[in-house]
Amino acid sequence: MSSSFNIVNYSLRPNKTIQRSLVFEGIRVLLDRLALLDPVYIGFGSVWFTDFLTAHRELEIRDMISIESNDIGFARAAFNTPFKTVRLEHGLSTEVLPKLLTEKSINSRPWIVWLDYDGGLSEVVTKDIQTVIEEGPPNSIILVTFNGSGNWKYGAPKDREKRIRALLGDVVPDDVPKEKWDDESLPTTLASLTVAYMQSVAVAAGRPGGFVPAFKLTYRDTANMTTAGGALPTRGGRSTAAAEIRKSTWAAIVDDPIITPMLTIKEAQALQAALPRGRALTRRTVQRLGFDLEEEQVRAFETYYRFYPTYAQIVT
Amino acid sequence: MAKLGEAKANPTKAFFVRTLTKDIALEDCVLDLIDNSIDGAWQQEGGKPVSLSQSADLSKYWIEIEVDQTKFSVRDNCGGITFDDAASYAFTFGKREGEPAERYSIGIYGIGMKRAVFKMGNDISIRSTYETGSKLESFRVPIVVDKWLADELSDQWDFDIDSAPDLDEPGVEIGVTQLNEATAASFGNPAFVQNLRRTISRDYSMHLHRGLSIRVNGTVVSGWNIEMRHSEAFAPIRINYEDALENGIVHVEIIGGMTAPPPDDSDPDTIGDSEYRSGWYVVCNGRIVLAADKTGVSGWGTSNWPKWHPQYAGFMGFVLFSSEQAKLLPLTTTKRSVDVASEVYRRAQPRMREVARRWIAYTNQRKQALITAKQVEAEAKPISVFEIPIRGEVAFPTLVAEPRVPLANISYSVAADRARALAKEFGNINMKNREIGVESFNYAYSQFVGEDQ
Repeated sequence: MSSSFNIVNYSLRPNKTIQRSLVFEGIRVLLDRLALLDPVYIGFGSVWFTDFLTAHRELEIRDMISIESNDIGFARAAFNTPFKTVRLEHGLSTEVLPKLLTEKSINSRPWIVWLDYDGGLSEVVTKDIQTVIEEGPPNSIILVTFNGSGNWKYGAPKDREKRIRALLGDVVPDDVPKEKWDDESLPTTLASLTVAYMQSVAVAAGRPGGFVPAFKLTYRDTANMTTAGGALPTRGGRSTAAAEIRKSTWAAIVDDPIITPMLTIKEAQALQAALPRGRALTRRTVQRLGFDLEEEQVRAFETYYRFYPTYAQIVT
Repeated sequence: MAKLGEAKANPTKAFFVRTLTKDIALEDCVLDLIDNSIDGAWQQEGGKPVSLSQSADLSKYWIEIEVDQTKFSVRDNCGGITFDDAASYAFTFGKREGEPAERYSIGIYGIGMKRAVFKMGNDISIRSTYETGSKLESFRVPIVVDKWLADELSDQWDFDIDSAPDLDEPGVEIGVTQLNEATAASFGNPAFVQNLRRTISRDYSMHLHRGLSIRVNGTVVSGWNIEMRHSEAFAPIRINYEDALENGIVHVEIIGGMTAPPPDDSDPDTIGDSEYRSGWYVVCNGRIVLAADKTGVSGWGTSNWPKWHPQYAGFMGFVLFSSEQAKLLPLTTTKRSVDVASEVYRRAQPRMREVARRWIAYTNQRKQALITAKQVEAEAKPISVFEIPIRGEVAFPTLVAEPRVPLANISYSVAADRARALAKEFGNINMKNREIGVESFNYAYSQFVGEDQ
């Protein structure tokens, strides 16, 4: 199986970067409102550790665990570990996560688990969701990101409903409109259904505070990616978390895919210098700046320009 | 013998609120409230017998259910409860002696509505609008459960009936807020809501087929399309008879046959939707109370009737009981099973057993003549259960055993995602594991061995 570190440097994907910023902003708010102390970050750091860098620098999370199953990837990850408090676990997430649940030093602290898979939604993803939601410590946060593209292993559009029902079970309605399974809608359909699945797993496991949906995003750089997640608060924290996510300022539930254009540094800087502004940025404005973009790309940039990666971020 | 005193035997409110509610699933509580609405509609239509061929039109009636983590509501336009009925009967715990019985109703025990709302939450409102002559009258019964319980010692069991504005049409509106924790969690669970839709679609398929509209959170639930296969070789049984009991008559209708071809083998991996739908269904005054039963309740594994085996998948049988007096029906109070001790049910069982035995024999014979069997099965076309002609016995084809070559079983395990990836390349991501194995063998065989001589 090819791993993401063999494909492209994370930092060069603007939409992934935007998505990561929105997610971390959401995590920061939840950590703050739920007054979560001493959380543990668990993810797939690969050899880049991009999310680990953000978790440590912006959220001041100290203890972090990166799971890596690939032998070479593990050796490279060990070499690239960015902080002393990042611990590497060699193995598959389906094996490592249950093991971590037995570790006394971390199994009663809040977990922030962000499993950013190389592949699509599969039995591995649902198993990991189950493990964390059924047994994860109170006040944890869980996120999964996977490939939601139609050309991943979801079969032809007509076969997808059955395939996804095999993975997510009863939460998949019997009357999903056909167009929800086509290539364009699939990533958002999967995001909603995965969030619903997380909710049903939490209810079935009788988690006292249940599951509060908090993250639902899709984005595209090279592939259509889907992110779904939420909080696993205590009984007392549930209404606080739910109230925060209902606010209009909550930015980690996004209906439309995040698809900003791949810009040169010069283009990005020129556009950024024109924002924020009272009137909407238009294609005409871009043309006046001396280059050109599709109307849709202009709108996307304007929505997310605050999170668009800058040169300074690329070199970190 | 001298009497020494009296032992207290009167019930407590807490028994009804905390104990009785433990014996019923939340989903069945919602169904109990739907039953009440349907009973209302049925009475509006004159309370006719409920059989498959009966042509009652329920298309002007609707029931709307809204559930989420904070509230439950059900509204209908099925006629409403009258003030007199509310004052005398609807809120008593259990039926009173002498209470007029609704004709062909599903509700019989006088416990469904109270038990349902008590299970759900603390703040309850039941509002009704009904017609008297040409004008509308309305009332509302508010119940705050913890206050009502706190009144335990006062011996005050009655609920107040308040005036209320009219609903748009004669009907009932029940709302529950301050949900109990477990109820709130279930109502907030997308799987619960989807499964509720599935159950409504199945258990009220007879009513939905007659035009009744049921919505759950704004989405219309369409009824199960129940079909059986019919051809020259395959013909479902459809018989009906009247069973005269001491207190009245129960109409019984039995239908049974093939709904889908049986599986080629009983490997759990190859068992699909048809296994899920297979088995016996028991219907009481139109409501499915036992669905796809494969247990001793419908007879499997009892008195010379073998236990259910996946090999029998594809069989579907219906026993419909209907009676003007619902108390004669073999219903349990939760309406989720059958009272197996009931005479009318026991008398139907030999006929059910005969149909099932014929199917079992067919599936055994079929294994020896699989190629012919599949051809004959493919010729059998689905027909709606409402259109099955009357026929005294079930018909299945008689097959002659085919010559068999010795067989080799090959089994191996691979990573699940690799199996799916290969299935996708074979053209069907949902291919059963067994089919992937066979397809892989056939592919390798054609590459390395070529055509059989």
